[in-house]
Amino acid sequence: MDEIVRQLISRRRFLQVAVASGVVAACNPTSTGGGAPTQGASAPAGGTGGSAPASGGAVSGTITVSYPDEAGLKPKYVEQAAAAVKAQFSGADVKIDLQKIGDDDYYTKLLLALDSNDAPDVFHVGGSLIGELADASYIEPLDDYVSQWPDWSQYPDAVRSGVTYKDSVWAIPYGLDMRWLYYRKDDLQKAGLPADWQPANVQGILDAAAAVKAANEPNVLPYALYAGPAGSSGTADHAFVPLLWAYGGELQDKDGKWIGDSPATRKVMAYYQKAYDGLSPKEILTETKPWTAMREKLGNGQLALLFEGGWVYGGWASADKAATEKNVGYTLHPTESGGPSFTIGGPGTCWYISARSANKQGAWEFIKAFNTAEIVGKLNAEDPHPVARADAAKVPEFASSPYLVASTEALAKAKFTSPDPAYSKVIEAIQKATARVAAGELGPDDAAKRYTDDLTQALGADNVTSQ
Amino acid sequence: MAIGRRRRLARNGLYVAGLSPAAFLLALFFVGPALWALASSFTNRALVGIDAANPRFVGLDNYARLFGDPDFGRVILNSVIFVIGSAIIGQFVLGLALALLLDHAQRRGFLATNLVYASVLLAWVNPTIIAGFLWVAMFDFYNGSLNTGLHQLGLGPVDWLGKGPMLAVIIANIWRGTAFTMLIFLGALRTIPSDIYEAARVDGANAFRRFWDHTLPILRPIAALTLLSVTMATFGTFILIQTLTNGGPAFQTEVIALYAFHEAFQAHAVGYGSTIAVVMLALNLSFAIVFLRWSRARA
Amino acid sequence: MTALAAGGEQVAARTTAPPAPRRARRAGPIEWLLVHSVFLVVCAFFLIPFLWLLSAAFDERASAYIQWPAAPTIMNFVRIFTEHDFARVLANSVFVAVATMVLVVFAVSLAGYSLSRLDLRHKDWITYAVLLLQTMPISATMVPIYGLARQLGLRNSYLGLILIHAAIELPFLIWLMKGFFDSIPRHLEEAAWLDGRSRVRALFEIVLPLARPGLGIAAGLAFLSAWAEVLMVVILIDQDNLKTVPLAFYEAMRTQGGYTEVQYGVIAAMAVVYLLPVMVVFFGARRLMIRGLMSSTRGL
Repeated sequence: MDEIVRQLISRRRFLQVAVASGVVAACNPTSTGGGAPTQGASAPAGGTGGSAPASGGAVSGTITVSYPDEAGLKPKYVEQAAAAVKAQFSGADVKIDLQKIGDDDYYTKLLLALDSNDAPDVFHVGGSLIGELADASYIEPLDDYVSQWPDWSQYPDAVRSGVTYKDSVWAIPYGLDMRWLYYRKDDLQKAGLPADWQPANVQGILDAAAAVKAANEPNVLPYALYAGPAGSSGTADHAFVPLLWAYGGELQDKDGKWIGDSPATRKVMAYYQKAYDGLSPKEILTETKPWTAMREKLGNGQLALLFEGGWVYGGWASADKAATEKNVGYTLHPTESGGPSFTIGGPGTCWYISARSANKQGAWEFIKAFNTAEIVGKLNAEDPHPVARADAAKVPEFASSPYLVASTEALAKAKFTSPDPAYSKVIEAIQKATARVAAGELGPDDAAKRYTDDLTQALGADNVTSQ
Repeated sequence: MAIGRRRRLARNGLYVAGLSPAAFLLALFFVGPALWALASSFTNRALVGIDAANPRFVGLDNYARLFGDPDFGRVILNSVIFVIGSAIIGQFVLGLALALLLDHAQRRGFLATNLVYASVLLAWVNPTIIAGFLWVAMFDFYNGSLNTGLHQLGLGPVDWLGKGPMLAVIIANIWRGTAFTMLIFLGALRTIPSDIYEAARVDGANAFRRFWDHTLPILRPIAALTLLSVTMATFGTFILIQTLTNGGPAFQTEVIALYAFHEAFQAHAVGYGSTIAVVMLALNLSFAIVFLRWSRARA
Repeated sequence: MTALAAGGEQVAARTTAPPAPRRARRAGPIEWLLVHSVFLVVCAFFLIPFLWLLSAAFDERASAYIQWPAAPTIMNFVRIFTEHDFARVLANSVFVAVATMVLVVFAVSLAGYSLSRLDLRHKDWITYAVLLLQTMPISATMVPIYGLARQLGLRNSYLGLILIHAAIELPFLIWLMKGFFDSIPRHLEEAAWLDGRSRVRALFEIVLPLARPGLGIAAGLAFLSAWAEVLMVVILIDQDNLKTVPLAFYEAMRTQGGYTEVQYGVIAAMAVVYLLPVMVVFFGARRLMIRGLMSSTRGL
């Protein structure tokens, strides 16, 4: 709890720091890969060939970079970074392994590869996974590298703590996650709601959805609420967890035990029951990657309400900017009693170095080459995320978008989930619990009780509590 | 032919050598994995997290957890329902019916028999992943052939995979597997020469009597074996269900093979997944032993 | 042989080609109508998915339901090779399936012959054990094979794929070949031995030619099984350049989320190409294949 409060407060300071460092950055040359000279640095353990991390240092050999991408926005920047590394170090070669698969499948493949010593040097997965990856000894701590990287000063404390676990930094973020409650102004107006609709409270979302349903427009779904394993991490991060916080609940109590059944949990389950009583489509439970369809539907007006990642807006805007700006509204998540007030944030997808890499120095060079202010700014302008490094916010493409400015400000009101290694198992329990309510198998109170059971099964009774 | 003991041993030596390439592969990929699964089921090995770096021996904890887990009860129930619905009610009965129909039609000289026969076979012979793909398209809620057809008839679309997932996967599996039982029964039916039916007809026996006195006795011996065989084959169904529902909304079609896979590769708990695999193997082994006993008794 | 096997033999003998109507009794019109109506329903049930497949493969704007192609084209077939790198995936499948077939025929002919001629008191137990192995569902051994392959370094290699694809078919095919060899009388090879030929030569020159149908069945079934295998490929392969067609399908179905995103036309074209060898092998050698399959105690 304290952690989150601290992060919240730091979030506000982030903006001040961002402005301040923007000024500073404007006055100093930005650093690209290779950085400033270092003073007698110690080479990280296991690095091959190379000497101390210095510019033009002897980085050689092949660096394998693996990442998933379906939207098609990242490859050119990855290639740009790879070219920069190759240009700087003549003996180095960068092998890019672009996997055009979803994040979940990529993660499983990655784990299988890490487990069989077949791993890439650099990989790209969610920052919330650092806990479990570090515990498995799959990733390399980056403290020695970042301490000699001048650019690291551009990353605010709040961002740094998002990738810190057991007092080490494990990954480099570049685009932070935040989420909006999206609504289609056109569909809501057809349902009789005012043009400047805002949800008065959590129930307001359901009321609006009910109105859309009553309006009975053909092909318009009222609401999409992720549930079940098919929704993947979205079931937790884009549905259950924000609702839990909205109802005043928490994921963990002050001793770090995970909370199962609680008054807030029951309210969330009751909300699910109402949502799945005709408002949210049951296909979410069976479709593979239901979020693809749901995002597309909101983009073209076939879905009225959706709580989703801020980056999805970019896809809609690039398809049809004018229509999106006119019809898609976005606001924060309401609480039980009051209007919009918060969102859920995360470190986003980050770059990691494999602990068994044979070319860690090369891997680090690639990461530096990618995480320049220019690339970070431009990529996050196209794939809208608040930037992790403050100076990237000054990049013209980024600074000129009102949407991005709004997203960055909203991050000040974000609550974060913890990078606890047990969180993946909690997500699974959440998926099972929500699925039961959504499919109509259990009532809210029973589902909440079973949720405690699922958590206990996965984490052990010592780590679970109910209220 | 009397062979000297030494000669016999020498010859046997060669035969054992001849068996060795196959035996090596079998040991490596059948016996080995079964043992590995057993060993792994006593640990808490995982693909990520602390248990990936340092898996611990946990004795029978996994088994205790499995048998105490209400989800596992659901999984077993699903598997039983699936096998009964698909193998016993579907494939067995439909296969028998088709065999009777086709046999009769062939004796009548209907040429269309071959088309029907080939269609049933085609559904069986194509790779499972294709079958999955075809039925995902068929069951698709908004655009699938089934719902489009219903729409043409003026009926509303059915949420096959959402509201009736078990029925949907059973239908798909019946489509896939009926050929097997049909072929077996057809083979048995073909052993009855037409003359016998002729003679019976001449004797005044009606259709029912002809069936009861001449057809059924031929079918009876292999019926039980066929039933057991198709049950075992259906028990391990995986790909078809995974492509259609991946365990169904809220676990409704999670059969045991899927459960093992999900625990190992989605929940990343390899030790626990191995436990489920061991239970699967044990169940299958029991079926197989029963089957082989019966089979040898009748052969 | 088991009762099923005996039935299987007869199935093969009589099922495949349309026999000449033996004194077909004329059916009344009602019976004709009834039977053919049922035929229609049955054919519809079993064929509609394939009709859809064909209609989608030739349609630029294919969708999930059967329709006369909205935009008839053969471009889907071109696109799978130019845009989706299907050629490599197909080549991998062909290579693995053929190599598996060769390995399997080698291993099972040796093993089947050896098992048939073995003179051991408890030989039955070995046959029994082989049959038991055959009933193990691979969805259960998936997890341990992953662990084993990882430890042996067999993941992401052609060798691993071929070995495992071959292993899967071994129990059933060994049993099948043993049956074939059992039916070849020993005195033929014993005569050859007396004539001075070595065992190996006798095997090759006398016995194997007689077992040709069996070898054909083993080869065909091994090829089909390797061609269709998906679970093991999922476990073993991460790298794109080693993918086989089933894995490409598996990933395509999990990647294309949402109803509107699935490129049905392209995937259908892949499926049609992928099905061609199956049709050729199975329907071309129908009699042989069915005979082989029906000697089994399991379905595909």
